[in-house]
Amino acid sequence: MAPSPKSRFSTALAVETYKLRRSMALLLAMICPALVAGFAFFHQLRLGKSASWDMMLTSSAAIWSFFMLPMSVTALTALMAHTEHGPRAWDHLRSLPRPRWHVHLAKATCVLGLLVSMSVLLAALTSLAVLVAGWWEPTAAATGSPDYAKYLALLGKIFASSWLLVAVQLWVALRFSSFVPALAVGICGTFFAVVATSARIGLVMPWQIPVNQLAADPARAQLALGIGFVGGGVVLAMMLFALSRREILD
Amino acid sequence: MAVETCGLTKRYGDYLAVDSVSMRVPERAIYGFLGRNGAGKSTTLRLLMGLMRPDAGTVHIAGVDVARDRVRASRNFGALLEAHGFYGHLSGRENLELTRRLLDLPAWEVARVLDVTEMTVHSDKCVSDYSLGMRQRLGLARALLGSPAILILDEPTNGLDAEGIEDMRRFVRELPDRSGSTVLISSHQLDEIDRVATHVGILCQGRLVVEGSVEELKAGSSAEVVVETASPARAIAIAREHGFDVMPEGDLLVARFQAREDLRSAASALNRLLCVAGGIHVHSLVPRERSLEAIYRNAPSMAN
Repeated sequence: MAPSPKSRFSTALAVETYKLRRSMALLLAMICPALVAGFAFFHQLRLGKSASWDMMLTSSAAIWSFFMLPMSVTALTALMAHTEHGPRAWDHLRSLPRPRWHVHLAKATCVLGLLVSMSVLLAALTSLAVLVAGWWEPTAAATGSPDYAKYLALLGKIFASSWLLVAVQLWVALRFSSFVPALAVGICGTFFAVVATSARIGLVMPWQIPVNQLAADPARAQLALGIGFVGGGVVLAMMLFALSRREILD
Repeated sequence: MAVETCGLTKRYGDYLAVDSVSMRVPERAIYGFLGRNGAGKSTTLRLLMGLMRPDAGTVHIAGVDVARDRVRASRNFGALLEAHGFYGHLSGRENLELTRRLLDLPAWEVARVLDVTEMTVHSDKCVSDYSLGMRQRLGLARALLGSPAILILDEPTNGLDAEGIEDMRRFVRELPDRSGSTVLISSHQLDEIDRVATHVGILCQGRLVVEGSVEELKAGSSAEVVVETASPARAIAIAREHGFDVMPEGDLLVARFQAREDLRSAASALNRLLCVAGGIHVHSLVPRERSLEAIYRNAPSMAN
């Protein structure tokens, strides 16, 4: 065989990104933040009176972290895993001269990368929605000026605290070829996160950890961030170990 | 040896899927890996490619122990698997591009394999619009990326039309001379293997019961005579009574002789026995070369 492949992780990541072309996962990554921004637009028009930029941006982050993020991660991880499960591509991928953990880590990195893009898109579309709503209905125009640094920092913390959620959902999605286990876990998790909003257990519940970044108590937010980020890292490492050792991924 | 296994064993719970398989695939051979559905071919191939860990035994691909260095071993083969694993939302060219990148091959390699498999014209269509035959060709193109020393083809003619089957056969036959590759073809179709293989291994109930070059196996140490008679059942009984090794084959009976050199005298002895002693009218008595089909048919009895 010609040149021997250099086992670079960057190549596996580039290939994973290449697979996103014309994919449902990419479409979903664009639609979910747009839905939140759309909601912010109509909510502002319905209010019919002005509110501060800070409130507008915070409420968009709240909707995102409370409901849309857990559901998006559920769907996104299921779609990303189905890219391989659907055409039964695992055998081909795993027979190539590359460390197997590269494939799984590239997939996890790609999901996290998409979440960063979705957060940035959410920030951009929400700002646009607030501006357009103010132009459309001047009485509903936002007051004051937007503090983008604070908003982006909040979205950043929400993203970092969602690592545990991503790790759990991605592991289930990669482990089972059917959509059902991943969707069932994601829907149940989100449901319990919604009905038990203020419960203490929310601090360790992957689907509720991100919304804790909006908690009035900074200590609670900090603890949730630590659990979500560090816990996510640990679970991702366990996932890489477990999946790389599995003989059959379907 | 291009591929060598020693005592390869794999269990699924209590079920012994692969039972102490020791196979040797010589370099530049076209090795037909035959066996009925469920014989253990796919599991053996998965073990060869390092997709599964054996419970016992070793696999060497181009001299590299798969258990010790799977990554280095897998640089030596390309595979066309039964499950193609193509991404339907991408074009054929894009699918090959993904594998090319993972193999760190030059960009022109994709165009080369598309040309070799005559898929260039279809390469920009989405794979979801491909027929099964086109997917099979694209799978072959992907297996050829980087011109691997060993090509593993799992049921390569599945889904191909008559012309495609003939093209595939021609392509496989020419490979060892053209690129020095060794080809390992797994199939349950005897005819397929008979037309292309230089070597054959027959797997039965997880055991490799026959292995060798097709020439040697066909020559073997035995020869056969096909006898057509009005009462085959009685003829079989009489022949067996007198120590002949005979088997029914439809309305005919087939007598097997160990010594090929004495075939003529042995056949006339059988003829005399049936006509004179048995009073049975023999319509014809024709010697035939031992076929791969006969070897394949007898394989289950060798597994027991």
